[in-house]
Amino acid sequence: MDFLNNYIFYIGAFGLIFIGLYILLTRKNLIKLIIGLSIVDTGVNLLIICMGYLKNGTAPIFSRKGLNPETMVDPTPQALVLTSIVIGVAVLAMALSLAIRLYQHYGTLDMRKIKEQKW
Amino acid sequence: MVNPILLIIAPLSAAFIIPLMGYGLKRIVKFIPPLVMGFNLVVSLSLAPKVIKNPIIVFLGGFPPPFGINLYVGPLGILFSCVISLVGFIVSIYALNYIKQGAEQKYHALYLLLLTGATGIVLTGDIFNLFVFYEILCISSYALVGYTGEKAGIESASKYLIQGSLGSSLILIAIALLYGKFGTLNMADMASRIDSVHTMELFFPLVLFITGMGVESAIFPLNAWLPDAHSSAPSTISAILSGIAIKIGIYALCRVIFTIFGATDILQFLMLLGLVTLLVGEFSAFSQDNIKRMLAYSSTGQIGLIVFAMGVGTQYGISGGLFQFTTHALSKSLLFLTTGYMIYRAGSMKISALEGMGKKMPLTSVAFTIGAFSLIGLPPFIGFPSKFMIVYSVLARQSGLYIVFLALVLAGTVIEGAYFFKVIQAIYFKGERKDDRAKEAPLSALIPVIILVLLIIGIGIYPKVLTSILDSSAAELLDRIGYIKEALK
Amino acid sequence: MLIQSILIIAFGGAFLTYILGKASSALRDFLAVLISVSLTVLIFLAYGKTGEIAFASFMNLPLVLRINHLSWFFAIAIQTVTTLSVIFSLSYMKGKERVDFYYLMMLLCNSAMLGIVLSGDFVSFYIFWEIMSWSAFLLISYNRGGALYAGMKYIVMSIIGSMCMLIGIMSLYSTYGTLNIREIHDLISTASGEYLLFISILFLAAFGVKSALWPIHVWLPPAHSEAPSPFSAVLSSILIKMGIYGFVLILYVISGAALYLGLGGGSFRYILTLLAAITIIIPTFNALMQDDAKRLLAWSSIAQIGYIILGISIGTSLGLIGGLFHFFNHVAFKALLFLAVGAIEYRTGTRDLNSLGGLIKKMPVTFIAVLAGTFGLIGIPLTNGFVSKWLIYKTLILNNHPFLAFAALVGTWGTILYSYKLIHNIFLGQLPENLEHTKPAPASMKLPFIILSVVIVLFGILPGIPLKLINLITASLGFDLLNINIWGIASESGPLNIINIFAAFAVALIVVWFFFLISGKKVVISQDNSYAAGIDVPKGKYHYTVDFYNPMFRMIKPYFRDYMDEFYSQLVKALASLSDRVRRLYCGDLGVYVIYIVLFLSILVISKIGLNLW
Repeated sequence: MDFLNNYIFYIGAFGLIFIGLYILLTRKNLIKLIIGLSIVDTGVNLLIICMGYLKNGTAPIFSRKGLNPETMVDPTPQALVLTSIVIGVAVLAMALSLAIRLYQHYGTLDMRKIKEQKW
Repeated sequence: MVNPILLIIAPLSAAFIIPLMGYGLKRIVKFIPPLVMGFNLVVSLSLAPKVIKNPIIVFLGGFPPPFGINLYVGPLGILFSCVISLVGFIVSIYALNYIKQGAEQKYHALYLLLLTGATGIVLTGDIFNLFVFYEILCISSYALVGYTGEKAGIESASKYLIQGSLGSSLILIAIALLYGKFGTLNMADMASRIDSVHTMELFFPLVLFITGMGVESAIFPLNAWLPDAHSSAPSTISAILSGIAIKIGIYALCRVIFTIFGATDILQFLMLLGLVTLLVGEFSAFSQDNIKRMLAYSSTGQIGLIVFAMGVGTQYGISGGLFQFTTHALSKSLLFLTTGYMIYRAGSMKISALEGMGKKMPLTSVAFTIGAFSLIGLPPFIGFPSKFMIVYSVLARQSGLYIVFLALVLAGTVIEGAYFFKVIQAIYFKGERKDDRAKEAPLSALIPVIILVLLIIGIGIYPKVLTSILDSSAAELLDRIGYIKEALK
Repeated sequence: MLIQSILIIAFGGAFLTYILGKASSALRDFLAVLISVSLTVLIFLAYGKTGEIAFASFMNLPLVLRINHLSWFFAIAIQTVTTLSVIFSLSYMKGKERVDFYYLMMLLCNSAMLGIVLSGDFVSFYIFWEIMSWSAFLLISYNRGGALYAGMKYIVMSIIGSMCMLIGIMSLYSTYGTLNIREIHDLISTASGEYLLFISILFLAAFGVKSALWPIHVWLPPAHSEAPSPFSAVLSSILIKMGIYGFVLILYVISGAALYLGLGGGSFRYILTLLAAITIIIPTFNALMQDDAKRLLAWSSIAQIGYIILGISIGTSLGLIGGLFHFFNHVAFKALLFLAVGAIEYRTGTRDLNSLGGLIKKMPVTFIAVLAGTFGLIGIPLTNGFVSKWLIYKTLILNNHPFLAFAALVGTWGTILYSYKLIHNIFLGQLPENLEHTKPAPASMKLPFIILSVVIVLFGILPGIPLKLINLITASLGFDLLNINIWGIASESGPLNIINIFAAFAVALIVVWFFFLISGKKVVISQDNSYAAGIDVPKGKYHYTVDFYNPMFRMIKPYFRDYMDEFYSQLVKALASLSDRVRRLYCGDLGVYVIYIVLFLSILVISKIGLNLW
């Protein structure tokens, strides 16, 4: 169980990424694909957070007495994740708006049927 | 001295001002992109001579790396930034009259954002910062591809978005893994701790980087979005995507492979990738009857050539690859710009619809011919010196395998020649045009085209103007230790 | 300074002509002629000069111009033909579309060819070579219709050739660090045999395409027949000779005779001579089967190229002299023939040999010109073609190549047949009714005819004039000087004396005349007699020239299909279908695209984990 204890976050993160990939590979509906992308994104965000995670860590505030730098959580990944979430939202919004327009044009979101651009 | 950060700030702030101006000053909105890009061009050119001697390092947060984000303005960055702002400038002049339909301000804002992203990628010294700019570039190009709201554009944009975001996610995973290993995001700092990629821990991020950036830089088989997106976007966007955006992917790839990982042992694989990309691209272009799709596939082929040259991995080879990048940026944007008005006048993207354009649009047709000749590598145009360098660098390796590779690359060139000559024949020597709708493109479209033609011929005859910056750029990529030293000074 | 000014005038003049053409067409025509004539004069003035001058640099390589006997010899041939073609074009091109463009490309092509022979290093050589290629492509496509296919074929093969050359040049550069022709010549003796063979094969491919060596000749027949006639003359008489110049350059100037003869244990030379022999035989009989006058001449050009390469590739002084002289002669008579056919096309609107005939009375000067040209082509004594063919035969016999000599002989028989077909079907026989009102060729066309006819006969009677120069060329390439006098060659290895031949010829004529006299009274039979068989002459056409040599064709036709052309067409078809399949990779299905990405990633990972490739 030690293994699980140590790596549970990584397993979770990569699990999400693989679930997302699985959706991307198998689903044909654009909305589902977008959800898949979003899950991949979440997985990646989680992965970044894991990188800075410490068990029983404290907030990285040096000015407060009694906090040991050894046990502080790395703050950089949290900043990264914030940025990455914002980017993810932008992509998601973009994707959804495109999906709406696509539906208006084709009347379907099944990507197997939307194949006008090919060869 | 001008602070190179202006190169990023100027287009970024302009991009946010444009939507605001939309409320009162709608008519002058379209003049902002040429203005900003012209400014960027001047700044980049004025920085170039200094940068070739000593790279400029800018600390963005005020504290030095590895803790703060820094800009590393080296010869490579300035070369790319020069080309970006040059092509951006030229295309934005063209867009003055060309972009009439749809949401004009959105177009201009997104256009500037795209260029901000591109400039940011080539100047930054921080891998996460690179990712952010990369996303700016990608998102604005998704939006631009679909911006007309037409069926084809929307379809291509959605497909592009799914593939592109998947690629970006892979890059982000790689960054996370690297951060987990080294606890730093500064590229130089990271590079100083990597001495081999043979461990799985480092190889996996490298592979993720290659795949992720390969999507944007259109390496086969990750380039399926490219022909759709390039052919269904408005011609100005195709020009920018083809001339700039995909090359930025190559830049990022090279930065990662050469500077961060120093992975010289995968260079042969890179060469092979380039070769396959080239051949697939040229073959696919060969039997196209849609001119823009043909040009898009030809871009794939050219990307293959650039990657191939990068894979040679010698000073001369990388110079050649960078030269080819310049060639392609100029020639392909010329081709897309000239076909832009031809398609507009003909009302169709079919090559057969362009028949007889040589008489109706003489200047545009001549410009198209020159662009095509240059891309094939015929002297005295810019494509010739770059091809010259690539061929020389491969032969200088003195290896039988490389000669076989080279022969295949040149076979790709022959195919490229064949389909371009077919179009040229169609434009000049086929069919009679009775309708009078087709007339010469307006002045605002001719000026950028003429500038590009002059550049193509000028550099073709006198390639020396580029050699010093190319050589120092190649040196920057190859000299990993030097990069680390400079950045962490 | 002289060389630079030649090139500057040539290139500048080309563009100036184009610009001027936008203002006034008369001025443009005048300028085009002025430039060509003044270039001819300038090149004449450069006779005997030797020198080398670096005029610019390209990628840290000096671009060198140099002039010597060899390049002067080629330059004067180029410029003369272009000048005459430009003069010919004055009336030929009148009233056609895009005449400005035509003159621009004509003069540009000419300048590029001058650049090729005057360049002293391989970079400028390659640059000029490519400019020549694409300007020629634009002119070949000029006539629309079938010309498009011809142009396509030409340019694709020509690019393949120049890619081979590019590899060769860059390989030389990466090995020796210089591209100056003189310096490479000094360095190449250290090269290993295999390397030399590698380089030679690459250049063989490059120059072989341009000079239409069998089996890479297939671009030539359509290109020559579809181009505008004055440019066909340029194509056939000089553009393809740039390949010959290249051969001389690579075999003798760069390698030198000794290295060339030992190349691949002598097998390289053997194969080259063999190819040259094939190039003589097959195209000759293909020419025979053509009904299009220009296509016939085009095939004949290939065959004559075979003679030239045969002469050059033997590798002796006499052979080289013969080859170079035949080059010069071919320039004269093939330019003449193409221009003459152009004049006929200009006046009658057709060049189909089956619908022409009897034009001898309508276009007498053209007839004389074609007569002189075909005499030269066949190699009838007292024309220049005789001298050069004599020299080539002599070489082959002296060097014990009976089969090659036989091939050359067979080629000459074929030449006689197709030359007769050409002259008969155009000028002799019955005049078709629709050509009753054909006017003679205009003066601007007659001038080139007269000049070239004079050249053919003059150098046939006094071959010493050009041979002296050619002798100097071969001497500069390391061969012994032969003893040349104005009547021919007096040395022991290949005596040639036109006086003797003239005497023999005169004697033969007198004998024939004598028999003619004593054979009794001549009976005049009008041409109608044989056809009418005693009945009234039918109206309309009764003298048919269709299916000339029909019985012979039935025999040889199956053997003389252009198999190479068919082979290449199949190849292109296969490539096209392959390319169509390749682009189906981009099937339009997003799911497949995602699979591509994931597959790529997993292959990379597997290659590390599973196969441990890295």
